[in-house]
Amino acid sequence: MPGKAILFDATKCTACRGCQVACKQWNDLKGVETTNRGTYENPANLSVETWMKIRFIEETNNGSVAWLFARQACMHCTDAGCINACPTQALYRHTLGFVAYDKNLCSGCGYCAEFCPYDIPHLDTNQITGFGKMDKCTFCQDRVTNGLDPACVATCPTGALQFGDRGELLMQGWSRARTLQGQGHPDATLYGENQLGGLHVLYILDRGASTYGLPVDPQLPLAQTALRDIMRPVGYGLVGAVTVGLGVNYLVARARMVREKEDR
Amino acid sequence: MTNHWIDIRNADRIMIIGSNAAENHPISFKWVTEAKERGARLISVDPRFTRTSSKADIYAPIRSGTDIAFIGGMIRYVLNDIQTLTPANRAKKYNMTYVAEYTNAALIIDSDFEDTADPSHPGLFIGYTQNTIDAPSTIGSYVKTNWGYSNTTNPQSSAALVDNTWTAWTDLDEKCVLRLLWNHFSRYTLEKVSQITGCPQGTLEDVYSSYAESGAPGKAGTIMYAMGTTQHTHGTQNIRAYAILQLLLGNIGVAGGGINALRGTSNVQGSTDMCLLEHILPGYLSMFKHTDVDLNAYINRAESGKSIVTPAGLTGDRSASWWWYDTTDPYISGADNSNYRKYIVSLLKAWYGNNATTDEAYSYLPKKNGSGPNYTHIGVFEGISAGIVKGLMCWGQNPAVGGPDSEGERNALEKLEWLVVTDLFETETSSFWKRAGANTANIATEVYLLPAACSYEKQGSISNSGRWAQWRYKAVAPINESKPDLAIVDELVLKLKELYEADATAPNREAITRLHWGYRTSGQYEHEADPNVVAKEINGYTWSTGTALTSFGSLKTDGTTCSGNWLYCGMFDSSGNNKAKSRDTVDASLNQIGLYSNWSWCWPLNRRIIYNRASVNFDGVPWDNDHPVISYNTTYGWQGDVPDGGWAPINIADAGSKYLPFIMHREGVAHIWGPGRVEGPLPEVYEPWESPLDVNLITGVGNDTSYKGKPGFNNPCCYVGYLDGDNGKGVHADYPCIGTTYRLTEHWQAGQMTRNHPWLIELQPQPIAELGVELAADRGIQNGDIVRVSTARGSVDCIAVVTPRFRRLTIGEGASQKTIDHVGVPWHWGYIGLSTGISPNGSSGNVLTPHVGDANTTIPEYKTFLCQVQRV
Amino acid sequence: MMDHRDVERFSGSTRSLHWIVMLSALILAVTGMVLYVPQWGFIAQDGYTRVIHRVAAVFFVGVPLIYFITHPLKTLRFVLEAFTWWRDDWKWLKAAPDYYFGGDESKMPPQGHMNSGQKLFWTIALLSSLGFIGTGFIMWFLSEQVTGWGFHWSLFIHDVCLIVGGTMIIVHFYLGVVHPRMTESLRSMITGKASTEYVKGHHGKWYRETSLKPRKMNEVDNT
Repeated sequence: MPGKAILFDATKCTACRGCQVACKQWNDLKGVETTNRGTYENPANLSVETWMKIRFIEETNNGSVAWLFARQACMHCTDAGCINACPTQALYRHTLGFVAYDKNLCSGCGYCAEFCPYDIPHLDTNQITGFGKMDKCTFCQDRVTNGLDPACVATCPTGALQFGDRGELLMQGWSRARTLQGQGHPDATLYGENQLGGLHVLYILDRGASTYGLPVDPQLPLAQTALRDIMRPVGYGLVGAVTVGLGVNYLVARARMVREKEDR
Repeated sequence: MTNHWIDIRNADRIMIIGSNAAENHPISFKWVTEAKERGARLISVDPRFTRTSSKADIYAPIRSGTDIAFIGGMIRYVLNDIQTLTPANRAKKYNMTYVAEYTNAALIIDSDFEDTADPSHPGLFIGYTQNTIDAPSTIGSYVKTNWGYSNTTNPQSSAALVDNTWTAWTDLDEKCVLRLLWNHFSRYTLEKVSQITGCPQGTLEDVYSSYAESGAPGKAGTIMYAMGTTQHTHGTQNIRAYAILQLLLGNIGVAGGGINALRGTSNVQGSTDMCLLEHILPGYLSMFKHTDVDLNAYINRAESGKSIVTPAGLTGDRSASWWWYDTTDPYISGADNSNYRKYIVSLLKAWYGNNATTDEAYSYLPKKNGSGPNYTHIGVFEGISAGIVKGLMCWGQNPAVGGPDSEGERNALEKLEWLVVTDLFETETSSFWKRAGANTANIATEVYLLPAACSYEKQGSISNSGRWAQWRYKAVAPINESKPDLAIVDELVLKLKELYEADATAPNREAITRLHWGYRTSGQYEHEADPNVVAKEINGYTWSTGTALTSFGSLKTDGTTCSGNWLYCGMFDSSGNNKAKSRDTVDASLNQIGLYSNWSWCWPLNRRIIYNRASVNFDGVPWDNDHPVISYNTTYGWQGDVPDGGWAPINIADAGSKYLPFIMHREGVAHIWGPGRVEGPLPEVYEPWESPLDVNLITGVGNDTSYKGKPGFNNPCCYVGYLDGDNGKGVHADYPCIGTTYRLTEHWQAGQMTRNHPWLIELQPQPIAELGVELAADRGIQNGDIVRVSTARGSVDCIAVVTPRFRRLTIGEGASQKTIDHVGVPWHWGYIGLSTGISPNGSSGNVLTPHVGDANTTIPEYKTFLCQVQRV
Repeated sequence: MMDHRDVERFSGSTRSLHWIVMLSALILAVTGMVLYVPQWGFIAQDGYTRVIHRVAAVFFVGVPLIYFITHPLKTLRFVLEAFTWWRDDWKWLKAAPDYYFGGDESKMPPQGHMNSGQKLFWTIALLSSLGFIGTGFIMWFLSEQVTGWGFHWSLFIHDVCLIVGGTMIIVHFYLGVVHPRMTESLRSMITGKASTEYVKGHHGKWYRETSLKPRKMNEVDNT
């Protein structure tokens, strides 16, 4: 899978959340009103005003405790449910591999949000009128296409976030994962190499993906495959067949009626 | 920091204790992470499992305020290891040359010295007198007569230690420092330490054995500490304990080592250098005292105790004693030419220029009266409360949130005649009269709020924890009427001069009218002070020519040079370029150990790692060839960092010129034995002012619940304040939990800047109280509930964050064993701004903290107190 | 032989219902299809078609609902009729192909007010409408409540309904407007009247039943 990628190393993340703020700063997103819900993690969810956040996970094991931090933002899947679902083609694959979108084209239908296995796209849809637009991590398209790292990566103090060629980051990620395996983390892994055709956000994890709240083997919804690969062709076929049938019927019926009239 | 931020990456062991570096110094983890990638092990010692702990290889929970027990146990572990090993193996596992030759471990102490372990005065060193005055004061003090070396000019050393031939403690002289150290710390057994700290013995052993590995020659361990260390009644001794450990492990002066104070704000180092504290002048020169009748008397007093002492029996045969001039020293020549005199005369010249003679200048300046008001933070507020201090200028400070017992300090503010607050935003301090419960009819304070420019709106230098002075430029113009702090001071002083000029009868008028004050230039700085001019004056220059000086060695005693701070002399080059502005990203240091010597400039003399002569052996060869700080070559001399004195290495120098490495000490060796502190030459376990224990488990002294506390149970010299009856003391029966206060990554200090920022409020919207799962279950508290945390001073309402990261600890011995729980309250919140607290008092953690302070510095004991927590 | 008297076939309210529902269905189909056909997607940008879709949906659901409230018995009878199949209906279906390809209508079995073709149309139309409305309601109002698959399959069913219902509309339009023999049905839906000749041919059963008691015929329609 060519193109660029972001590599997140959970073992280096200190959850300072500089990335979360940098994302808002660069993209001019508003602060969200929140309350403390008994955790450091906030806001509770991604939204049109929050495109990335760090999740805080407390894990206890035999009296010892671990505090794990996971980045949550668009994974820029290769088999992207959102691109497949987007009726207006507002969402599209950028030549650098990430999932870009043209907000002008967005109809606010929200199918992208519904078909994302990671629950990433969010909309500010008005419930009654349906007016709204989707927003999500843009991969800092405006930065990366101008030679800059994404804002989150540029801000990260510990090197937990890196940006580069996906192929190189894959090698680097696996090398780090193997090192971690040798340092007492048998489940250490690189997440994202093959999921959904290959993600453009890769995770170095010292524990299983599920501990970090990531689906181990995410799949595009069956309904989406059914829609795209079965229903759409069937629909075209049926409408086509019926139209042709009716056309033939018209010609035949007309011909017979004309003959009838002449006969009469 | 003895070292600097980047140097953390060179460490093999990193112990973060009394600091939550990942949260409060996030950038430091760039280097911690690099060190870990190289294979360094990270140890986090903290009552709370923090974001720092989340990255640690070993996490050791301890009861807040028990650092000395924890580190004392490690000192015992190392000493025991050193003694048990054969001399040959000992020298492989520990740098015994360093210990014996570069520290005072081998020197012999006064034969009448008596330790705290002496049963005749448990918990107290020899020479103690308890204070009986019933006023804000320390609870007692020492006469240190018997704390010094047996031979005060030529201390003898223990040959068996220097030669590394000993096997039993009795092989060493009875009063040899190392043996006294063992005598003192042998009581700190694993069992005892575990009982005091609550840290399981297995964890203690893990930490001790892992960190002790940094003692091998060529290995380095660093200690990163911050306010969790200092903000105790025994904060200074906490640091002493770290220093002793680091010296035993040969970790000072080397790359990847050091004692590294992570300063709380970007420029705390700079403000300390420039005399933020009340007992010093710029460059850590002693403050004038009322007994210093003239300048000579001041210099004599300041230099006393700094006369050169030359240890006997060490390979190095002399000390530089930088502070004091020895007329026989060829390195510094000329009569009456001590460095102290150069520094103070040049400082007075910078202040008064040609407008006064040095003696006149000295006479104008205020002198500190030993029995007069104490101008520490605590003392100032007691002074306000007592009506002695009538006006207050708060410059980027918000004591109504940041001060200890802040309700008491808020009440004190009501007694001021006037208050000036200079800040970016309206603060709790400037609006103390708006707070809930304030009766404005009784408040006559006139309050001025001056809008300040923020760091991006002005140019100037900041000095970071690594002592680097870095110049910053203005990015945008200040908004509206806000001005840089310098411009505000400039206007203020010019106005004062005008007023004093006009009033011939004003007291001590010349102190103001004769000030040398001319910082305005042309163009941009036609109407406000130019920071470049100030920087040059701080650096110093030859008065007649205006030529910048490049080293404090060039300062003169005759008033022909000026320097606002001798430590910063050398920041300018001879062409007048300010090196704080240099930005060279090339690392030209030996083996690229990350000194980046041409990026900004650091004091002293751009020396990036101080005490670096301790990083090499007698031949000038680095202990660690992978990370050489400096290295001596007979052809080229010293290479690498700026060496701590340019003399040849001990083995290469001639007899009589073999300089010992620690040039700031008069003995030339580092202080494992440190008689300079007020409460003893060695750290001892003392309980916090409010302690859950009935007996001090090391000293055996019982808890005296009296207001002042019990010497030997508590620190015998700590400062106990009164704040007009506001500063209550709680007991364990009423307040069974241990409270501690701290900061969060997402907020800044007293919150002026961050609680007005939506992006940051979004991340941490409300004040929290963190507590463990067991305690929450006992109190019926659910995660997210509102809880009330209370102490004898006050109470705050917060959102409960119930978490397994707060662990219940078991402390005490035998039948008196008990479990304790910590409750953590960040102190950022207040009652002004976009995000305010839950209770009307603003829910600042400092409503809870006591108005008591460290014995040496009077820093408040913010980190440990007794509290109760209940569901609201 | 031609009987040129007109028979009242559809009342005013029924015709209004037909046209409003037809118009909203057309709008719904068009604004829905811009989300279905990728090449038309750009038309949906900024969501205006989705608002139109929702307004049309309100008419599509609301008008029949009002009709049902004002004509409950008639509606029920109508629905009942659409779903009730007689032996004649099967015969009709068997004979229909030949007829629709221009064959002789005399071979068609006599039909009621609603002939078998219409019954077929209405069955599908009613079922797909229910599908549209149910899944549309879910996607409009319950997207937060239903889990992922709930929305996915709602969308799927909505699209199935579009294909099936849309096809039926095309056939309906063809037969009603284009087919050379069906000239009367469009007129009857516009004016409400159909020629006796046409009614005899296409709805013979109904004609027989009602012509015996012509007043009843009106009664039926005006209930």
